[in-house]
Amino acid sequence: MSTPSVAPAPGTRVAGATPPAGPRRHEDVFRRQQARLGWMFSAPALLVIAAVTIFPIIYAVVMSVSNVSVTGSGISLSGLTGSNYSIMVHAAQWRYALFFTVLYTVITVAVEVVLGTCIALVLERLSAGRGWMMALLLVPWSMITVINAQLWGYIYNPTYGIADTIFSHLGLGSPVILGTRVPAIIALMVADIWKTTPFVAIIVLAGLVMLPHDLYEAAEVDGATGWTTFWRITFPLLRPTIALAVLFRVLQAFGLFDLPFVLTNGGPGYSTQSLAVLAYNAMFRDLEFGPGAAVATSTALLVVLGCIAFLKVFRAQVGRQG
Amino acid sequence: MTVLRLRGLVPLASLAAALTLALAACGSSSTSSTPSSSGGSAKPPGSATSGNIVWWASPITTSAPDPRTVLINDFEKVYPHIHVTLRSAPTDTDTNRASLITQISGGASSPDVFMGDVIWPAQFAHSGLAVPLSKYLPDSYWSTFASGLVQGATYKGQVYGAPFFEDQGFLYYRKDLLAKEHLSVPKTWQQLETDAAQLVHKHLVKYGYVWQGASYEGLTCNFMEYLGSAGGSVLNSSMTQSTLNSAAGQQAISFMRSLITSGATPSAVTTFQEPQAMSAFANGQAGFLRNWDYAWSFSQTASSPSKVVGKVGVTPLPAFQGQTSPGTSNIGGWNLYINPHSKNVAADLTFIKWMTGATAQTTLATQFSEIPTVTSVRSSPAVISKNPVLATVPKTRLIPRPAETPQYAKVSQAIYTNVNSVLSGQTTPTAGLKSASDQVNSAVSASGL
Repeated sequence: MSTPSVAPAPGTRVAGATPPAGPRRHEDVFRRQQARLGWMFSAPALLVIAAVTIFPIIYAVVMSVSNVSVTGSGISLSGLTGSNYSIMVHAAQWRYALFFTVLYTVITVAVEVVLGTCIALVLERLSAGRGWMMALLLVPWSMITVINAQLWGYIYNPTYGIADTIFSHLGLGSPVILGTRVPAIIALMVADIWKTTPFVAIIVLAGLVMLPHDLYEAAEVDGATGWTTFWRITFPLLRPTIALAVLFRVLQAFGLFDLPFVLTNGGPGYSTQSLAVLAYNAMFRDLEFGPGAAVATSTALLVVLGCIAFLKVFRAQVGRQG
Repeated sequence: MTVLRLRGLVPLASLAAALTLALAACGSSSTSSTPSSSGGSAKPPGSATSGNIVWWASPITTSAPDPRTVLINDFEKVYPHIHVTLRSAPTDTDTNRASLITQISGGASSPDVFMGDVIWPAQFAHSGLAVPLSKYLPDSYWSTFASGLVQGATYKGQVYGAPFFEDQGFLYYRKDLLAKEHLSVPKTWQQLETDAAQLVHKHLVKYGYVWQGASYEGLTCNFMEYLGSAGGSVLNSSMTQSTLNSAAGQQAISFMRSLITSGATPSAVTTFQEPQAMSAFANGQAGFLRNWDYAWSFSQTASSPSKVVGKVGVTPLPAFQGQTSPGTSNIGGWNLYINPHSKNVAADLTFIKWMTGATAQTTLATQFSEIPTVTSVRSSPAVISKNPVLATVPKTRLIPRPAETPQYAKVSQAIYTNVNSVLSGQTTPTAGLKSASDQVNSAVSASGL
């Protein structure tokens, strides 16, 4: 981030061409030394990060444009090719997985943001027991997704699951939830929303408590209703916070893997096969590392582009309001 | 307040996306190339007497004592200078394979010996992830196994896996319920369907006939049994062309769907893997069950928990009317393979030879009810008298899955996803079969997704 104190403010004319005064120069040197020391201290950690993330990322990108073959003595790469991407684009499975992943991301993130904001508004009003409520809310979020999926698996189980019992008591028969396309997709979304809405709520709550009180007092004096106050003051001011929550959630939801992997294995048919499950199956089940890497690389690219587009639109809207 | 630092979020987004991508590349990074060490010594392969071995094997049974440790202890008594370390593998077969592939293709020399599914030889052989055992072990060794098992472990003329224990589909039924309704044990699929529906109609059971219909490998096994019984096949003999879209294929897939529509099988079967089918049967909720060898011990152990102890019979799977009886049982089970990077192939071979020898095979059968792979042990009186399942084995007809192609995983996925779609009623049998056949063709013809 920019630190304006270091350089002279623009437009400041220092008499003649003399460099900045003595004390300031000392400060500068000191800062630089501090920065160097900081880099040195963090270098080991950065190297580890580079080894476990940056190298594999580059490797995956390289694999996606190479002819990859698995041999006993490792994976060998040869030649530069676009065939992995061409295979991917022509595969009906990939097109469906893309559609499913986008649909899943849009719906779950939208629901989570609305629900999470509502919960945050309620939590902010709570005077007593807010700490306890937050702790309770965080239970689903802190649970490992695979275990969370397994628990939902018990709920959705068609022979002894509670969902089946509830449906048949309501006279809705006993739908095979995870074995039919639309119910299976909804079931995954419900499990996801249950787990991650609290995360959105906590982020929005953090933004909410930092809003300036005087604006609300002014609104009250002007006789604004609660509804108007929310749409005219709270929501516009919360936009950056909500943007942050959406961003985190989109990145996570787009990488959807654990829930379908545990609950449906992508079934029925290919109905719940997300891009990440497709990439995993291609690479580790079929040993198609080239096309698999192409799926992974393009997924990452798509989500980055999606997020940048989202931020652009968001900023444009905010700008218009400002 | 409207000045927003959203721009700062862009690098954050990129970083998180990059992390997602990093996961994709996990485990595919090493390029070390250790040459596979050969037996080397003058002694015949399989007679080394010292060394250290890491054995990778998923749990064989859930009950104590663990067969793997029992066998290791017995082995170490005979070969005190060979030390075997057990590395327990994931119980999920696909996860198990994924971990092995990443380890071996990454050049790891451990595990030395791994227990792998009978459908893996072609894929592992094709990618050089297993040692061709027939280079070391003579024909006289391979001829000790029951017919078909060695063939299943062969790829392009070399044997890659030593058959360790076999498994296959059986039909389990409730003796008490059949007696109550004066029904005989069904010999045809059509009879089974009628009987099962009758038991449900009379409210004797919640479900008639349960099996494995979820979208996973087990459904391919189930499908192969109907297809084999109808006289069909998945691929031509050169493994290059789908033969699925045939009258036999049509009969198999339509019959599976009709089991559900006739009420003989619950529609929930489309989410059933072995545990769900097993628990429905063991709880007394089902009249018939298609399952593997373990279902016998499971259903006869009150602590399993099973409510049907003493009420269960077992028989070979039925056939379609007018076709050869009995029907076909799909071959499952596990082989022992050697990691090409193993530093101690000589000791590995000794271990494999002992594990597939008469002593270990008899222990597996008589103590743990696993189906032995060695012909002489399969027909020994001690094994046959152990339980009705082992006595049924010689009467069954076996059918392998089309696993002789390195693309088998994709072939199987084409089968189970489409059959699962048909079972759930999303697709008609005709359309589902055609789609499966098309996908099998593209799986064996080219690399792809």
